[in-house]
Amino acid sequence: MAPRPARAAAALVVLLVLLAAGCRERPSSAGPVTLVFKHAKILGPADPVPGLLRRFEAEHPGVRVVSEALTWSSDEQHQFYVINLEGGSPPFDVMMLDVIWVPEFARAGWILDLTPFVPAAERDAHFASAIEPAMQDGRLWALPWFMNVGLLYYRKDLLAKYGLAPPRTYDELIRQVRLIQAGERDRRLDGYLWQGKQYEGGMVNVLEALWANGTRLLDDAGRPFPEPERARESLAFLRDLIVSGVSPAWVTAGDEELTRRPFGDGRAIFLRSWPYALDLFELPDSRVRGRVGVAPLPSLPHGAVGAGSTGGAHLAVSARSRHPALAVELMRFLTGEAAQRAMTEGAALRPSRPALFADPGLIARDPTLPALLPLIRAGHPRPVTPYYLMLSTTLQPEFSAVLVGRKSPERAIRDGAAQVEHLQQALAR
Amino acid sequence: MRTGRLRDGIVLAALVLYAMPFFWQALTSVRPDAELLPLSHLLPSRLTAVHYDAVLRQSLMPRALLNSLGIALSSTVLAVGLGALAGYALARLPVPGRGVILLGMIAATAFPQIATVSPLYLLMRALGLRDTWLALILANASFALPLVIWLLAGFIREVPRALEEAAAVDGAGRLATLRFVVLPLVAPGMASAALLAFLFSWNEFLFAYTFTATEASRTVPVALALFPGVFEVPWGDIAAASLLASLPPILIVVGFQRYLVRGLLAGALRE
Amino acid sequence: MSDRRLGWLLLAPALALLGGLTVYPAIWVIWLSLHYRIPVFSISRWAGLAHYAFLAVDPRFWSAAGVTAVFTVASVALECGLGLAMALGLRAQRHGRRAAVALLLLAWALPSVVTAKMFEWLYHPAGGLVNFLLGGRPVNWLGDPALALPSLIAADVWRTTPFVALLCYARLLTIPAELYEAAEVDGAAGVQAFARITWPLVRPILLVALLFRTLDALRAFDLMFVLTGGGPAGTTETLTVYAYRALFQTLQVGFGSAIGVVVFALVMVVAVAYLRLIHRQEASA
Repeated sequence: MAPRPARAAAALVVLLVLLAAGCRERPSSAGPVTLVFKHAKILGPADPVPGLLRRFEAEHPGVRVVSEALTWSSDEQHQFYVINLEGGSPPFDVMMLDVIWVPEFARAGWILDLTPFVPAAERDAHFASAIEPAMQDGRLWALPWFMNVGLLYYRKDLLAKYGLAPPRTYDELIRQVRLIQAGERDRRLDGYLWQGKQYEGGMVNVLEALWANGTRLLDDAGRPFPEPERARESLAFLRDLIVSGVSPAWVTAGDEELTRRPFGDGRAIFLRSWPYALDLFELPDSRVRGRVGVAPLPSLPHGAVGAGSTGGAHLAVSARSRHPALAVELMRFLTGEAAQRAMTEGAALRPSRPALFADPGLIARDPTLPALLPLIRAGHPRPVTPYYLMLSTTLQPEFSAVLVGRKSPERAIRDGAAQVEHLQQALAR
Repeated sequence: MRTGRLRDGIVLAALVLYAMPFFWQALTSVRPDAELLPLSHLLPSRLTAVHYDAVLRQSLMPRALLNSLGIALSSTVLAVGLGALAGYALARLPVPGRGVILLGMIAATAFPQIATVSPLYLLMRALGLRDTWLALILANASFALPLVIWLLAGFIREVPRALEEAAAVDGAGRLATLRFVVLPLVAPGMASAALLAFLFSWNEFLFAYTFTATEASRTVPVALALFPGVFEVPWGDIAAASLLASLPPILIVVGFQRYLVRGLLAGALRE
Repeated sequence: MSDRRLGWLLLAPALALLGGLTVYPAIWVIWLSLHYRIPVFSISRWAGLAHYAFLAVDPRFWSAAGVTAVFTVASVALECGLGLAMALGLRAQRHGRRAAVALLLLAWALPSVVTAKMFEWLYHPAGGLVNFLLGGRPVNWLGDPALALPSLIAADVWRTTPFVALLCYARLLTIPAELYEAAEVDGAAGVQAFARITWPLVRPILLVALLFRTLDALRAFDLMFVLTGGGPAGTTETLTVYAYRALFQTLQVGFGSAIGVVVFALVMVVAVAYLRLIHRQEASA
């Protein structure tokens, strides 16, 4: 006979095992067909998603769409997806993915092959630079939902005051900053704000600096830093922006929101950011309303103008969805022309369909739309590989070390290349 | 002894100063949002319950508190239950290899969690236990077990053998002796071990962060670490959540101080 | 049932749990470290000592090892010094002992995540108490590469000094007052009394505290992960944080396990060395 404490403990453990087993998420078995749509909160004046989902439900009686929010941080979203999709049956059907994850999820077998469901005409209605990263091994795995491109914001009023046109090279930008700062004599007016924090956004800024100098992160064979000297110049340039004071030191901790606010308060001349910020700058109570212009990112000596990073969100269907056909319909509905038009009207988003950029109704609400079209076309997607995220998280600390001045660009490139090669050794099949 | 009182007062004041970070966080949790950033005055102009309201009504903390409580209680019961039995066996029974096992226990208290987290992650994944209470109950109990066994074996050894022999003379078997003679005497020691195990499980972060995927299954430390903020960090809400997360530790420190101290000292002084 | 049998029966459940969740993983992690293992892409093949060979020349590994070493040595030294000082200060206390111990233990008992968030707020450039008390200077404690590690160490010292203080305090309480009175009669007081009476009696306990704290500091993860995430630029990235990032950010389970094994070996070596030292001290005493 086991003594009482042990017996009580054993009984409690058994009870708790049962409780724990029951505590796991249980899918609802009866009732209307429920689709779960997982997405991050849409930034901007209004959230168009609930309205769109109700419209879908109206068109598909007996179907309920439940919207579940993701955390704000891209890295956390990715971790959430990986942990859930890896485990077996994820409790969602349609998911919003950052474009950089699509090859990874496709290779891992977590998302549905959309090729049989999506006709070529529908595919071609989107930007090629949005479809390309969504294709793996010639099959289509996700459809673009909204589009992003990195661009340069500038204070129209300040540049006009000194008779300047938007800079085409970074040398010009630096000269303009010095000129304006000297003229304005405002200690609190920063020059050029960008995202230098150690996260995916910081990686984007570095990639744009590489492309601006005419080089890439990986060559066609996947080897890192094919032109190390140009990469070194790009990194040195970014560090110099801080050292010379053109950018304040805190950009090394800056993300999209931390850099948007000072610019929106009128305390900076230039800002590198995504299109969503424009809507917030044009809000009625914005201090810079009507005084913000949009331009392609400048170039460095060896590169071309407008090397912004294209990005945005895509929608994919979980490979283990219990209602794949319906989920695909929801996805096609949300990426369709009508939904994207609603999203552009309501939120600070840009459509992934070139045709909508020429739509008179949308242009009437947002006159900058036609200007964005060539910017998007000139943009670059980030390296399209299933291992992009691993690459990024491996290189981020190296680049961050350069930006805060702890490593020289040469050493960072050397160490970074060694780490990438070690990673690729593991990935080689 | 006026100087004694004065001196005691100074020491207490110094300690209050030492605990200032905690009191500052408590103050932050009732400070209005507008006065948080930038900080212009030490004391807020008024107190507000808006942060607690936000945390209790709109955040995941209530669910996380429930998860943490359930997991901590269960793993404590499991660890102390198994630990008492094992401790008795190692202290009193002629188990072969006893010395080696005890040495192994001591070594196991030094195991770094970072080393076992990857195999445990794969194990939990294979068993389909990710996102369940059971995974964390087992992991926490197993991590607390060596210390619990070590402590309880020591406490049991302090029970005079004469008492057990007397019980044997009266016709009681080993298990009855354990249940009716030894365990009641070691009850304070068991309380100490239970408090330490509970604190460990409540505060545990690494395993909880790794093994939980969905928001509903998070424990308090994980929920606090992943506290959401869309544009800016909600420092007031985080402070309120921190205070709630600290309730059991505070209760234990204030209410069960004697047992806690005894457990800490015994763990360190026993060689 | 024989005593022996009963012994095994009572021991079995605990051993089963430990075996399955502590011992087995400890062996498995070594096995994992010898493979290229990326579960997301179903990659699993033999690597031999390739990961260890890479670590031997990996600058990030050596940087993390350096951070771990600095963190451990600085934290433990400060904790032991401050802890002893605190215990000495508490020793003569008559009233409010419970309150004193409660205030001390509070810092120790709080979850490390709570402590991390607390200090993150204290160190905040604009809203933090620290900068406020410094007259409003916008010092970026956690964002400046030169300041991040000291800030982290300060937070850890705050959190764990009470443990050392409590140990020393308990020991100091057992030293009879007559010893000090006798020393005063002999003309030795203050520092001399400390050196001749207090120190020899407190030293063994301090050594034990040193052992526990060193092992804990080597294994520390929660505080740096939540407070700084290893940044900025790896200045607070200890071996444990590097291992975790490799495991769950880049999903390299084989490589991350190798770093975990290194931490494991380090902790075990230090533990054995300390225990030997303590036993030798006790033998000679």
